[in-house]
Amino acid sequence: MKKYFMIAKITWEEMFTYRINFIMWRIRWILGLLMIYFLWLSVLPKNTVFFGYNQSLMLTYILGTSLISSIVTSSKTNAVGDEINQGNLSNFLIRPINYFKYWFARDVGDKSMNIIFCVFELTILFFILHPPVFIQTNFYFLFLMFVSILIALILFFFVNFLLGLIGFWSPEVWAPRFVFYIILNFFAGSLFPLDILPKQIFSIIQFSPFTYLLFFPLKIYLGQLNIIEIYKGLLISFAWTVFFYYALRYTWKIGLKGYTAQGK
Amino acid sequence: MVISVSHLSKFYKIHKKEAGFLGSMKSLVKREYFDAKAVDDISFEIEEGELVGFIGPNGAGKTTTLKCLSGLLYPTNGHVSVLDYIPYERNYDYLKKIALVMGQKNQLWWDLPAQESFILNKEIYDIPDNIFNKTLEELSTLLDVKDVLNVQVRKLSLGQRMKCELITALIHSPKVLFLDEPTIGLDVVMQKKLRDFLKEYNKKYKSTIILTSHYMEDVKELCERVIIIDHGKILYDGKLENIVKEYAKNKFLSIDFSTTVERSKLEKLGNIKEYSETFAVIVVERTKSNKVAAKLLESFPVKDLNIEEPNIEDIIRDVFTKK
Repeated sequence: MKKYFMIAKITWEEMFTYRINFIMWRIRWILGLLMIYFLWLSVLPKNTVFFGYNQSLMLTYILGTSLISSIVTSSKTNAVGDEINQGNLSNFLIRPINYFKYWFARDVGDKSMNIIFCVFELTILFFILHPPVFIQTNFYFLFLMFVSILIALILFFFVNFLLGLIGFWSPEVWAPRFVFYIILNFFAGSLFPLDILPKQIFSIIQFSPFTYLLFFPLKIYLGQLNIIEIYKGLLISFAWTVFFYYALRYTWKIGLKGYTAQGK
Repeated sequence: MVISVSHLSKFYKIHKKEAGFLGSMKSLVKREYFDAKAVDDISFEIEEGELVGFIGPNGAGKTTTLKCLSGLLYPTNGHVSVLDYIPYERNYDYLKKIALVMGQKNQLWWDLPAQESFILNKEIYDIPDNIFNKTLEELSTLLDVKDVLNVQVRKLSLGQRMKCELITALIHSPKVLFLDEPTIGLDVVMQKKLRDFLKEYNKKYKSTIILTSHYMEDVKELCERVIIIDHGKILYDGKLENIVKEYAKNKFLSIDFSTTVERSKLEKLGNIKEYSETFAVIVVERTKSNKVAAKLLESFPVKDLNIEEPNIEDIIRDVFTKK
């Protein structure tokens, strides 16, 4: 276990290596957030209701998705495909280390850094801007939201890793990932709340894994789901996670067999 | 027996593709495969503490053999056993006892000082603190890199980086060490230093080392035993000095004459490799070299005469080109 802790720690150090890069990355994140905030603040006048969302809920939704997305969908595993394709995987196969745990440890390092800085920056912004956002005070909802984010994070890790495994067969790992991100942005609800879509469409995409990456945790936070809906959602997202876990393991096994047969 | 390889074969499946766009389209519809025989039925055994060199031209199957031994590739046929493990099962206990250094691939973290990579490997290989500190101290002294351990890896020179790569690979004191082109891209001085280190390391830790190299110097200086491999087959396995006896059928007679000697007269004695008016190098069969030398001394105005063995590079080149 200690080795994986060490990997997370080294990932931290690596992020701090280039100071300018690091600062720019944070500034970009804050500017992006402010842009969305002021855009929606001016689009949605006070006291108007937009598809069942008043100004405060809508702002909370939009800001919340960009926060959760920076935790859930930022992943170091984007590099997996190239690593496999260029044969760097060999360096891991000859050491007593688990490749999946290695990347998960890197993600834990990456995400924990993200969270710490986000919390810090958001607190400052909150006191400067006094945004009219919705604050959930029910601890039960907050707890369930954390559970759903945890599942979302693992689910995304598996899916993104799976996309990286394309590297076993083709050097073009980026094209499929690009398409995936476009679909993700739409169906995960990072552009708008998914329930403003027509009912039939919404009831279908509720069964896709994407919905549970951003939209679902936020709906729990906003308190717009009842307990049964929450547990149903957690169950579906958990089922997807299990599905992708086995899909990943199976694909890895086949890919590795080819890798150790052909070499890189 | 540390390493035992019997009838190892490794074929790669490669699909044929005709050149050009049309060829690409064709290969989409119908693919023809053929087997590339990277390693073809080789057997050898290596004892503990041996330092063995694999030599052969590009694509001879050296790296493939090393990869089969370290567990990166599973064999098409035959049996491989290293330290009584089956390498391709990649048992963690096995991996803790070996190391593979590929000259063209690095495991150091590019953006961090080398020290961090060492500490990470300490955790990966479960090395106790005191042993880690001792090994690191010894290795960094031997390789003379103490002062750069805290410098970001990307700022190191190629030589320094290669030394640090070696430390990362050796920090868990592997019993068996596989080195694939360890001196590639290094200058002569650095090559020599690395060689001296490997020699010393082999002596000190009694570890078994198998290395591949293009540079004859590496092999000449380090390895008592060489395995020459070409087109996936072992051409020679044995002591380096015996290659000369086994493969060099000729000797060179180089002669300085005190007066001008005609070429045509010398041609009767053997093949002439070099000729100028007062100097010649004649190639003669090993067994006849003494007779020819006597004849020369008898009937020509010889100032100086040397009987020379051809050098190993030449012999090996001959061995490869004959096939």
